[in-house]
Formats: sequence, C-alpha cells, structure tokens
Amino acid sequence: MEKLDDLIDFKTGRQKRLIYSDADIYEQEMEKIFGRSWLFLAHECQLEKPGDFIRTFMGEDEVLVVRQKDKSVKAFLNTCTHRGNRLCKADHGNSKTFVCNYHGWSFNFSGELTGVPLEEAAYGNDLDKSKFGMVEVAQIASYKGLIFATFDEQAPSLEDSLGEMKWYMDVWLDAMPEGTELIGTAMKVELPVNWKLAVENVSGDGYHLGWAHAGAMTVTAESGIAGLSVGNSEVDNAAAVSVAGLNGHTVLAALDGKSGYAFYNEYQKAWDYLDANRATVVERLGKFRGEKMWGSQVNMTVFPNLQFLPGLNWFRVYHPKGPGKFEMWTWAMVDKEMSDELKQVILDNVSRTFGPAGMFDNDDGDNLQAATEQSRGWRTGQMDVYTNMALGGEHSREEMPGVISEGLVCEQNQRYVYRRWLEMMKADSWADIPFYNSLEEAQATEGK
Amino acid sequence: MNLVHAKNDIYLDLQKHLFQEARILSAERYDDWLNTILSDDIYYCMDMPQRRFREDKSGQRAPAKTPIFKDDMESLKVRVGRYSTGFVWAENPMNASRHIISNVEVFETDEKDQFKVYSIVELHRSRLDSDRKRITVGREDTWIKSAEGYKLLTRSMTLDDSVVLDSNMNFFL
Repeated sequence: MEKLDDLIDFKTGRQKRLIYSDADIYEQEMEKIFGRSWLFLAHECQLEKPGDFIRTFMGEDEVLVVRQKDKSVKAFLNTCTHRGNRLCKADHGNSKTFVCNYHGWSFNFSGELTGVPLEEAAYGNDLDKSKFGMVEVAQIASYKGLIFATFDEQAPSLEDSLGEMKWYMDVWLDAMPEGTELIGTAMKVELPVNWKLAVENVSGDGYHLGWAHAGAMTVTAESGIAGLSVGNSEVDNAAAVSVAGLNGHTVLAALDGKSGYAFYNEYQKAWDYLDANRATVVERLGKFRGEKMWGSQVNMTVFPNLQFLPGLNWFRVYHPKGPGKFEMWTWAMVDKEMSDELKQVILDNVSRTFGPAGMFDNDDGDNLQAATEQSRGWRTGQMDVYTNMALGGEHSREEMPGVISEGLVCEQNQRYVYRRWLEMMKADSWADIPFYNSLEEAQATEGK
Repeated sequence: MNLVHAKNDIYLDLQKHLFQEARILSAERYDDWLNTILSDDIYYCMDMPQRRFREDKSGQRAPAKTPIFKDDMESLKVRVGRYSTGFVWAENPMNASRHIISNVEVFETDEKDQFKVYSIVELHRSRLDSDRKRITVGREDTWIKSAEGYKLLTRSMTLDDSVVLDSNMNFFL
C-alpha cells in the first residue's frame, strides 16, 4: 500500500483514485474507520417493546440490535458462538430467543446462551454456558432518538464524538417537542460503488444537482432551489452554506426555511406545517436555526456513513460490502407531531424522489458506479481526482459553529470528509485522532 | 374469494394487450403507454419487500408499507416527462430492455367489464459492456373494457428482491 499521506492532500483537495478500488486500503478502512467509529444502528422508535429487534451492519459485521426488558438496547454480533452460523435471518421483528439453525443453540434476547441440545449427554455438563453468550458491541449510546454503537472500548463518548454537529442535528432531532421517528420500512439498494463516493456526494456536492439531476429538476415542482437552477447555469452562493470542521461531520444548508420541500408535488401541505409550527421551533432553537434552517434543504453527514436530509426528509445509512460495493438503506424520517396525512405525503415523496425508483436517486448510481470503475484501470488508477473548488474560502461565523464556506456549490465539505478519513486511517488509537469544532481548532490540528 | 376464469376470447384479448404493452415498454414508447394502455384513473404501485419470520405476528409500525412506485396518471406523466427532457444521462445510449410476460391468468370480477389479471414480468436490461440486470415481479392487474377497448385500471406489483439489485429503476413494469 502507498503511504497514506500520498493518498489525500487536504490543502489542495486532491485524492488518489486508488482509495476507491484498492483492496488493502478497504481492509484498513474496516479496521481503522468502521472498527472504531460510532456507527448508526437504529432509531429508538423502531424498537418499541422488549424483544423487538433489527438486523443491521457495522462495517461488514452483521449486528442484531435488541430492545431489553429494562428498556435499554443491546447490540450483538449476529453469529452463533459455537460454529459461527448466522443467528437471525429476518430483517426485523420481535423474538424471545434467537435459535441457531445449525445445532439448535438458543440465546435469549439479552444475549445469554440458555439452551444447548443434548447438553448433558454430549458435553457431560462441562460446558460453561456463561462463557458462550452472544458477543456485544463495546459501547452503545443514543442521541435524541438515534442509537449508535462502536466496537472500540477506547472511543470517546458519542456526544464528544459528535461535538458541535449536535447543534445542527438538533435542527431536526429537537425542533419539535416530541422529536422524530422513522416511518415505513428501509428501502434497500445494492450499488457497485465505493462507499466514500456516495458519502462525499451528499456531504457537500451541490455542484452536481443542476446537471446530474437536470431531468428530475426540470419536471418537479418549485425546482429552482436555494439559488440553483437546471443545467448549472446560475447559482446564488449567498443563499446557503457549507459547514465542516466538526470532527469530520458536515452540513450543507440552504438558509431560506422552506426549500427542503421544493421537490414535493404537495409541498404546500408541508409549508403549512412549517408555518403553523415555526414559532415553537424558534422558541426551542432560537431565531437563526428556527427561521433559516428548519424547513430548508439541509444535508447532514455523520462520519463515516450516516446521512440525513431534513426537509427532503430522508435518512440513509451505507453498509460497505467490499471496495466496489455497498448497500444503501433509506427511510423517511418525520416529526412525531406531524399529522398522519402529512407523514404519508412525506413517505410517498421520499420514495418518489430518493427511493429505489426515485427520480433524483436514479441519476446518481451510474455516475458513482463509473467513478468507481474508473479508479481500477492500471493507468487510470494512478490518476488523481479533485475537490478543489472554493479553496481558501473558509471562515467563521458568529451565528453557527464549525468551518464555513459560502454556498451549496463548494467542495469544502468533501475536503474535510477526506481529511477525517486520513486522520483515522493514520491513527493507531483514538488518542491520536484530533478533535476540532471551529476554524481555529481545525487549523491548529491540521496535519497533526 | 371464488375466482372464475374469464372466457377464452377475453383471455386471448387481454393476453394480446399484455404482450403489446410489454413491447411498448421495452421500446420505451412511454407516451403510447400512457395514452393507449393506461386508464386515466390508473393506480400503479409496488411496495418495498421485507424479510420477516413466518411466525412473527408482531405489529407493524404505521405506515407499514413503503412504496417504490405509488403513482396515478399525473405522477406517471411526471416520471415520463423526466425521460422526455433528454437529460437522464443514464439512459443515453439507450439500454436494451426485454419485458418477458408469463403465467397469465384472467378472472371475472363483480364488475361486468372489469377483469383481474395475474402475470409475472421478468425484465432483462443489457447495460454498459457486459452489465446485465434482471428483475422479476409478480403483477395483479385490473383491466377495464371501455368504448376504446381494454385499459389498465390498477396494477399492484410484488418485487421479489428485498435489496434492489440495480443502480436505478429507470423503467416501468
């Protein structure tokens, strides 16, 4: 493997294409990034009753997330401790036990091994069942409805890891008194794409909207969004901000308070909801977030693989499946206070725009697939790619935390995503990974 | 429900319509599809599948169903309009498609001129270089006989994959 520092240049916004195709680099990512980051598991609302479970992934590790009798949530590797078979094959549901299909070992939903067929006859009562329980993640915690876990005992707390990103996440998670919920089921798509290309796209790439999505932008309602128009012919950069330097997390935000719903065919219903509740949100979050951000098109990225877009109301996690493949799971997320009618409107519109047959999402797959494939050729793989737009535009603003650049058309956020990627890939432990939540801190820790 | 097979002449008529529709969709003649195959009151839907244990009867959180397609004539015109812009770069060059229709069954309904039609569609898409995608879907249709001939009134589709295996669904089934 090449020297890690040669792969990414934060200052000039350069990446080596190898990072999208090299198997050794991918293996390192599983250990250094997915093996120790806080990763999204589930929304609290998906696990109502004891025994409610969801089968998901942390990197390529398969995990069962289960609600306990005491209301806490545990997460286990979805594998039998005897001969390694998968324990649960359902996507989600409710179960008192998880029974292995191979030899019938059974585990209760607290992870204890409770049943071993022929235990006395075959093991002669020598089997210490307490040593063969399901294996738990190292840490699990939730932030305002979102449950995360990490495999690293040394990882800082979830709240410290999120840092000032929480201030932005609250624009959705804490805007309304009852908070949020995921509705419907996960829309799952497998794409032949390196996971980083999808994450960087949503983290900061407003540039592609008017061109890659020109077809969808042309036919959807109110498509002149946040100063962007079809075909990338004009842009109003003062109408939006790119925010990074939040421990690797990023935000891309229009500041008009309503553009999030611009692609909806029934956007007026959503705008009525915004009007009716704006005062409540301003009271809870203050004028800036309540008036400028709530309801706007906002892209939030929690490094490395969670992205959610209040306004557009989609919530997505990426599960890598090798250097050239991932699964993308998308839900609709709504405020609990919304009417059932509005929730249905939102679910239908999330599907129509960003579901498996979504008119916007269906433009991205082939571009990202081709960018993945074009990192494989012997000669092509030696080339660089660039996120060098708006270099040097970074500044601070009093009204919001993080490192700010103007506009949705700006590649600052992608540079910071790759900076975090490099910081984690180089670090031997969490003690070597810098924390920064402002321009000063980001500059002071650069290259460290 | 006691299903009664439609008479053979009706069966043949509707099978002809299914095959004609398949040819129109494979050729991406979407305006013809909207204008000659579909009723103005069309309801066209497909939900995201979920894998759950057979014995698991626990409640589903509402709304339980997540649509992949949930369209009426107006929203189908928007989808078709997107292709008509010429800006859907993934479809240029045109991807070769074959809609293979099978297991056709036609039944009477309580309405005199409406028929329930079951079929399976297997869509093959030949994309860039050796890239070949295949999707199988079960369909439950209602076709209505009007003065202009048979029209598709409702189509409820069941996708077999719990993870969609193509990078887009720039097609109709």
